[in-house]
Amino acid sequence: MGTARVVFDRWDDRYAKRMADVRSSAVRDLFAAATRPDMISFSGGMPEIRRVPIDSVISAATSALRDSGTEALQYGSSEGRPKIRQVVVDLMGEIGVRVKADDLVITAGAQQALDLMAKIFLDPGDVIITEGPTYLGALQAFSAYQPNVVCIPMDAEGMRTDLLEEQLKRLGPRGAKFIYTIPNFQNPAGVTLTPQRRRELLDLARVYDIPVIEDDPYGRLRFEGGHCLPLRALDDEVIYLGTFSKIFAPGLRLGWVIAPKPILAKFVLAKQAADLCGSSFAQTTAERYFADTRWRKVLQDLTGAYAERRDTMIEALAEHFPAEATWTVPEGGFFVWVEMPAFLDLKSILAEAVERGVTYVPGDAFFPDGRGRNCMRLGFCYAEPDAIREGIQRLAEVLEDRLELYRAFANAGVLPVDDADGRG
Amino acid sequence: MNEKIAVLMGGKSLEREVSLMSGKRVCDALEAEGYRVLALDVTPELVATLRSERPDAVYIALHGKYGEDGTVQELLEFLGIPYTGPGVVASAFAWDKALSKRLFVADGIPTPPWVTFTAAAFKQMGAATALDLVPGAVGGFPVVVKPSKQGSALGLTKVDDAAGLAEALLTALSYGDTVIVEKWIDGCELAVSVVNDRGGQARVFPPVEIEPKSGLFDFTAMYTAGETDYYVPARLDDVTTTAVTELAARVHTLLGCERISRVDMVVAEDGTPYVLEVNTSPGMTETSLLPMAAAAEGLDFQKLVAHLVRSILEDAK
Repeated sequence: MGTARVVFDRWDDRYAKRMADVRSSAVRDLFAAATRPDMISFSGGMPEIRRVPIDSVISAATSALRDSGTEALQYGSSEGRPKIRQVVVDLMGEIGVRVKADDLVITAGAQQALDLMAKIFLDPGDVIITEGPTYLGALQAFSAYQPNVVCIPMDAEGMRTDLLEEQLKRLGPRGAKFIYTIPNFQNPAGVTLTPQRRRELLDLARVYDIPVIEDDPYGRLRFEGGHCLPLRALDDEVIYLGTFSKIFAPGLRLGWVIAPKPILAKFVLAKQAADLCGSSFAQTTAERYFADTRWRKVLQDLTGAYAERRDTMIEALAEHFPAEATWTVPEGGFFVWVEMPAFLDLKSILAEAVERGVTYVPGDAFFPDGRGRNCMRLGFCYAEPDAIREGIQRLAEVLEDRLELYRAFANAGVLPVDDADGRG
Repeated sequence: MNEKIAVLMGGKSLEREVSLMSGKRVCDALEAEGYRVLALDVTPELVATLRSERPDAVYIALHGKYGEDGTVQELLEFLGIPYTGPGVVASAFAWDKALSKRLFVADGIPTPPWVTFTAAAFKQMGAATALDLVPGAVGGFPVVVKPSKQGSALGLTKVDDAAGLAEALLTALSYGDTVIVEKWIDGCELAVSVVNDRGGQARVFPPVEIEPKSGLFDFTAMYTAGETDYYVPARLDDVTTTAVTELAARVHTLLGCERISRVDMVVAEDGTPYVLEVNTSPGMTETSLLPMAAAAEGLDFQKLVAHLVRSILEDAK
C-alpha cells in the first residue's frame, strides 16, 4: 500500500512571504473558547451599540434611499461624498480643528486609513515610531508592510517625549517614516497625552522632520477633565485619523483622514486601488443621521454609560485586585491597563481565566517584540456594571492563585530574582 | 420511525470551538444517514432537555474537561442513555496522562520517562527548589512540558534547556493543576486509531504520520491548514507498522476503551515505538486524525459516524 500525503491547502507554498507570520496565535485559540454564553469579556473594544436608537438609524437609512437612492446605490467619489465631508468639517470644528472639506477623505473606518498610510509610506525595514504599548490593529495593519517598529514607553502623561527625543537622536533627521500616536485615552494604556507633551512631541517631529499620525477614535468619549486640543489643531501638517465607529456605529465602516494636500493626493491613489470609493449608502445614511441633532444626546448617553462602567471597574479593581497590581484610571475611552509584577506571565494565565469565565487581552499583544507579558488590557466598554464587578472578582481570584504559584518559583530562584518583589 | 440521536457539543472546556466543529460535522453526517438529530450544547438545562427529548442515544462530540474525563459518561449512565465512545473508567484513565502512563509502565508498554508535578507541590512544598533534578530524572533535555489533563496539546511546550523549564511549567499549570515533564523522543510521530467492529473486535486503522512544519505538534500545528504534513499510512517499514498496530490494540484494551480510541505514539530513530497518550474523544474536524485514518481504510466520514452510532444502538437492544 502506498503512502498518500494528506493535503488540506494545496496553495500553501504560493502565499507571499509577508503572510508567513500571520497565523493562529495561542491567545486566539483561547478566545475561541471564550464564546461560551456565561463568559464575561474584558477583551473586546466593542461600543455599546444597543444604546444607539435604532429608529433614528432606520429613518436615516430610509431617507437615504427614498430621497437619494440613485446616489446612495451608485459609485461615489474616492474622496467621499461632499455632504459627509461637511459633517466631518463641522465635527472637527467642535474639537478645535479648522479644516475644509477638501482637506479630508472618507475611509472605511480608521482601520483602512492605517493600512493605506502604511502602504504609501513604508518599504520593508523602514523605521516607524509608536507608543509602547499601542493599538493591536495598527500593529497588524503596519506589519504587512514589514516595518521596524520602535516603541516609546508612556507614563501618566502619555508618551515619554524625553525617551522619544533619545530615539530620534539615535535615528537622526528623517530617521523614521512616521510617528504614530493615540493621544486621547490611549488604546490600550488608557492614558492621555498632556498639552505640554503634545507641544514637545510636535516640536521634536518638526526638528527631526518626521510626519505625525494622530489616531483619535475616543476623543469625544471624555468622562471628566478638560478637552485637550488635538495635535492637528496645533500643527496643520499632522495627519489626523477619525472615525464614526464610537460616536455612531462601527457597522457603517466610516472614518476619515485629514492630511496635507500632497499626502492626501497619494492617499487617494492608494484608496482608489483598494476600493475605488467608499460605500455611498453608508455615507448617505450617516449624513442623514448627523443632520438630526439627537445624535448629541445619544453620544452623551453613551459617554455616561462608559463613565459608569469605568467607575465600576476601578472600584472593583481597588476592592479585589492583589496589592501588587497597578492600573491606569482613564479620563475617557474604553480601556484600563493593568500592570502586575514582572515575573507574572499574563499570557500563560489566560487559560485559567477563560476556564473561570473571564477574558482579557494579555499585554504582549500590544507590543511588536514580546514585551508587556506582565500587563493586561481590560475593556470596560461592553459589559454591564454587574458583570464588570463579577468579572473583576473572578479575575482577582485567578491572579491571587497564580501569584502564590509564581512566588514559589521566584523564591526558589528559578525565575528572575530581582523582579520577585514586583513593582506594585 | 428513525432513531433520535442527541449530539453533545461545545461545553465550557477550552476546546469548545474544536468541539463545535466536530459536532457540526457529526450532525450533518447523522442527518444524511436519516437519523433525527438534536444538537445540544452543555448548559444547566442539559439534563432536563435529555429527559424531555428522550433520545435513543447520545453522540459525545465534546472534547476536554467534563466531556472526555468520565463526567458526562457517568451522567448518561445514570440517565440510562447509551452513548458513543469509551465508558467512565477508560475515559478517566485516558484523560489523566500521568495516570495512564503509570498503567503503561505497569503493563510493560514503552512510554517516555517522565515526572509529574502538582500546583500544590509547588505552592505548599517547595517543589520548585528541585527543578535541577528534572533532567536527571527523565534522561536529559529536550523535554516536553504539558498539563496532565487537557486536550488538543493546549499548554504544551518543548523545552531545550534548564532555562526554559520554569516558564513552561507555569504555562502548563494554567491549564490544569497537574503537569508532566516528559523526555522528548526524536522520531516519527504517529496517531493510531482504533475502532471496534460490529462484533466488538478492535480494528486498527492505518497509522497517520504527523510532520509539523515547526517541529512541534501543538494547537496551532493541529488546527491550521498547511502547518502540518500528514502521511497515511505512515512511512514505516512493515515490521514497524505491525509493531505499532499491535501496540495500539494492546493499549486500547488495557485502558478498556470499548468502541473507539486514538493512541498517539512516537517511533524513535532506533525503531522503538513509545506510547505518549490515548484520546477517547478524538477530534472529528476537517483536519482531524481519526477521520483521516478511517478514510484511508475506505470508511468515509459519514459511514464512520454511522458505524459508531449503530454499534451502540445495537448494544443497547
